[in-house]
Amino acid sequence: MPRLTALLACAMLCLCSTNTLAQTKKTTRVRKSTRKAKPAPRAIKLPPLKTVADKQKFLSAIRNSMPVRRAGSNLRYTSYDLDRSLEYRVGRDRSYAPLIDDERFVRRVHLDLVGRPPSIAEINTFVADKTSSKRPKLIDRLLATEPYARKWARYWKDVIFFEATANRNRTNPQALENWLTKQFKTGTPWDKIVAELVSAMPVRDKEKKKDKNDWSQKTGQNNFVLAYENKPPLLAAQTARLFMGISIQCAECHDHPFDNWKREQFHELAAFFSGGKYYMPNLDDPSKKTEMQPKFLLGEKPPIKLTIHQRRVAIAAYLVYNQDNYWFARSFVNRIWNELVGDGFYAIDSLGPDQECLHPSVVNRIAAVFRYRNFDPRWVFRLLMNSKAYQRDIQTIDDEEDRFTAVRPMRLNSDQVKASVLRLTGPERNIGTAIDRAFRHDPSTPQRDIEGTVQQALFLMNNPTLQNKLKSGQLKKRLLAIKQPRRLITQLYLAILARRPTDSEFTRGRKHLQDVTNRSEAIDDLLWVLVNSTEFLTKR
Amino acid sequence: MPHTHQSISTNGPTNGIGHLPVSRRQALGLSVASLLAPLGLCAEQLKQQQRSCILVWLAGAPSQMETWDPKPDTKNGGPTQAIKTTLPGVSIAEHWPKLAKSLGDVAIIRSIVGNEAAHARGTYHLHTGRRMGGPEKHPNFGSVVAGELGDPNSDLPNFVSIGKTLSSGFLGVNVAPFIVNRAGSLPANVATPLPSPQVSRRLALLAAQDAELSDAGAAALVQEHRVLYERARRLMTSPKLKSFKLDSEPEARQLAYGKNRFGQGLLVARRLIESGVPFVEVSKGGWDMHNRLFTRIKTAAAEVDRAVAALLRDLKQRGLLERTLVIVAGEFGRTPKVNTKTPAPGRDHWAKSFGMLMAGAGIRGGSVLGKTSNNGQEVVDRAVSVEDVFQTICRAMKIDADKELFTPGGRPLKIVDGGQAIGEILS
Repeated sequence: MPRLTALLACAMLCLCSTNTLAQTKKTTRVRKSTRKAKPAPRAIKLPPLKTVADKQKFLSAIRNSMPVRRAGSNLRYTSYDLDRSLEYRVGRDRSYAPLIDDERFVRRVHLDLVGRPPSIAEINTFVADKTSSKRPKLIDRLLATEPYARKWARYWKDVIFFEATANRNRTNPQALENWLTKQFKTGTPWDKIVAELVSAMPVRDKEKKKDKNDWSQKTGQNNFVLAYENKPPLLAAQTARLFMGISIQCAECHDHPFDNWKREQFHELAAFFSGGKYYMPNLDDPSKKTEMQPKFLLGEKPPIKLTIHQRRVAIAAYLVYNQDNYWFARSFVNRIWNELVGDGFYAIDSLGPDQECLHPSVVNRIAAVFRYRNFDPRWVFRLLMNSKAYQRDIQTIDDEEDRFTAVRPMRLNSDQVKASVLRLTGPERNIGTAIDRAFRHDPSTPQRDIEGTVQQALFLMNNPTLQNKLKSGQLKKRLLAIKQPRRLITQLYLAILARRPTDSEFTRGRKHLQDVTNRSEAIDDLLWVLVNSTEFLTKR
Repeated sequence: MPHTHQSISTNGPTNGIGHLPVSRRQALGLSVASLLAPLGLCAEQLKQQQRSCILVWLAGAPSQMETWDPKPDTKNGGPTQAIKTTLPGVSIAEHWPKLAKSLGDVAIIRSIVGNEAAHARGTYHLHTGRRMGGPEKHPNFGSVVAGELGDPNSDLPNFVSIGKTLSSGFLGVNVAPFIVNRAGSLPANVATPLPSPQVSRRLALLAAQDAELSDAGAAALVQEHRVLYERARRLMTSPKLKSFKLDSEPEARQLAYGKNRFGQGLLVARRLIESGVPFVEVSKGGWDMHNRLFTRIKTAAAEVDRAVAALLRDLKQRGLLERTLVIVAGEFGRTPKVNTKTPAPGRDHWAKSFGMLMAGAGIRGGSVLGKTSNNGQEVVDRAVSVEDVFQTICRAMKIDADKELFTPGGRPLKIVDGGQAIGEILS
């Protein structure tokens, strides 16, 4: 049986790899070449692939036989190489922001990898460390933690669920988050994670069928499919958007207005997610419709008729183990890049075949090596975070040509705001939910388009629970006990902004403590000011 | 432009954002009229002519046949009966007895041919006038109105939504919807226990603190933050805050609107319009009646019928109706054919023929536009598009639909792209 599986896997793979046009003509579609492809042997019968285990086994057989993976497995590509090629593209004569100091670095890395600012002790230890390799070491240490896995699991859960249309009772976002956390923790390669999400075919539990909302959503990896109601058109649009960075939704109803996608292509992709026959509706005449055969965006199509389970595996394979589908690896790299430096090489979820990508040679190279590096998500983080591109100071970036000469100052997301606030107040459910409500934004929104709201300002200014906790919490007590102004102000800034005050900040703070007769009130003012400052909500 | 270190509104609410430097995005998002307004030019004049709009959003898509285009005694019409209205020869569905008596002020459109029959996409189309997709996040029309007609110095937000709605898209925070979840009480966190001088003292310190970050490379974020705090402060101290509350409204009026979330929401909407807010949206969900339509419609319609009729009457009595456009709409219509869903049938999504109501400012009351076939499946007379509807709204609101708004990328987009105003229903 395993041998047979491997054989069949090869058959499928052959189909993927006959298709080389994407390398030569990137933007044209490839239907012609598929017609020329040798007909696959008709006698092939695929295993039913009904269980998760069978699907995994089959997909990993395809994975192991991917020639391209073996070919590049000893390729070297370091953060140094990355900076060199990026600076070459951006322009060596441009002015680049300087690299950040240790305090900024330790906060930035904590927010990015574990979703919270560092504690005072963590800052002090890091700053005091004299070894030259302390930055890469910190990155490695944080990448090995559970909070790293949890943070990025939550990110992807939000990405998947933000546009979800399904009835809440039929999904379990928490189960997805837990499953993803486990994957990121153990270092599961990205291809395996996505293959499992896309090939999932939730089956209703026979015994529990009476409970109409039981759709096996407790199985975490079922929740991508369930979030989009197991509906072919939604799954097609979201698979392309989330895992390829491609915007093809518009093509559901008409040829894409901005890009070269055709309606047929959309519905051919959707057909992979369909149980039986799949029809493209005729928009002018609802009584007419056209049956569509599953076909992937680059023209790949299965040689034989497949069952619903097999179709899901096939789409996963065409998406993930397809050497022509450079979009898959690249969209992950672009997303992470966007999260870490505030800009991607292109909009993270709305690329079209005719749309521009900035410095394509750089991002394509990273994406290619990502594939050779076994699609290891940690490799992408390490590569980028150890680069100068990540460790530069912030700068407001208006023009595209200035991109990557500095890091864009970024608004914290609701989890990061929550972590920053709750460590000042202690655990407080009301505050947590209020922050979730006021600060939540679509994680697929480009950083430059994310904006604050008046409600956020009102919350931080006036929320009674928050104000009480600041006025009478642990931090306040600690500060009250400090007699010396310099120490007091230093502790205040370290606790709230995770850095020491500048000279002018110190002078201003000390003056305020002198001017206001009631010392406790003066400290309340200072606490309030830092919690309400732009910096408190910003990754700098 | 030098970094601005001046304090935020230490002089109280009069120090408006008009005095602060305007960022590129803000400048692009604001109209000439609203830029001139803070200089005191024709502000009074603007106010008198200023139109406003209340959007009653029936989320989930109400059925046209159970609202403004009933088909009694036909197979597709289902059990819904029609009732006579104040307009001779015009009937609407039986569930709307109060509105049937107010149609003298209302225009009924029965012949919208839409393009979107999925909730998110229909909501987007009917809120922005644009189809979803492409690189731009189009602004909620309420944000467009806020930018075009709103006073940038106003204490209250220029776009209030009772219930959730779409964002201001590329127009940004200045005209973003201020969302209120509970009608009738103050918005969350507007009250502060602190005496005003202490708040001012803190805001002065905050401005100095933010200047540090601005200098360190985050000028744009700091500028935006400053605007938000400016607005928050003005809202907190505004005497107009009481518009959000209902305690000064007589019990009889509260009852007339209906003592429920939606009815009270509409009453708050009227109060906000009165205080100068140019756009208020009040939404009422639950219209996605795939099943049990014919029972569910009764309670849903009764609530909306009562409240909208009360609103029209109230606005008229106060002389506000002639400057206030009231729109009652959902994202699309429902299938003319009744489905066979259990436990009781309903209607599914349908965008090829549906309707809406408009009343008040600029609208010719008592008009009925368009006709659908007997089986309801097609528009047989005077088909209009969603874009036509938006052109009409612009005309009624005295907004130039051809004006170009600029995306952050500098791409000019007309307020409404295509379509023609429906002359028949405009006064």
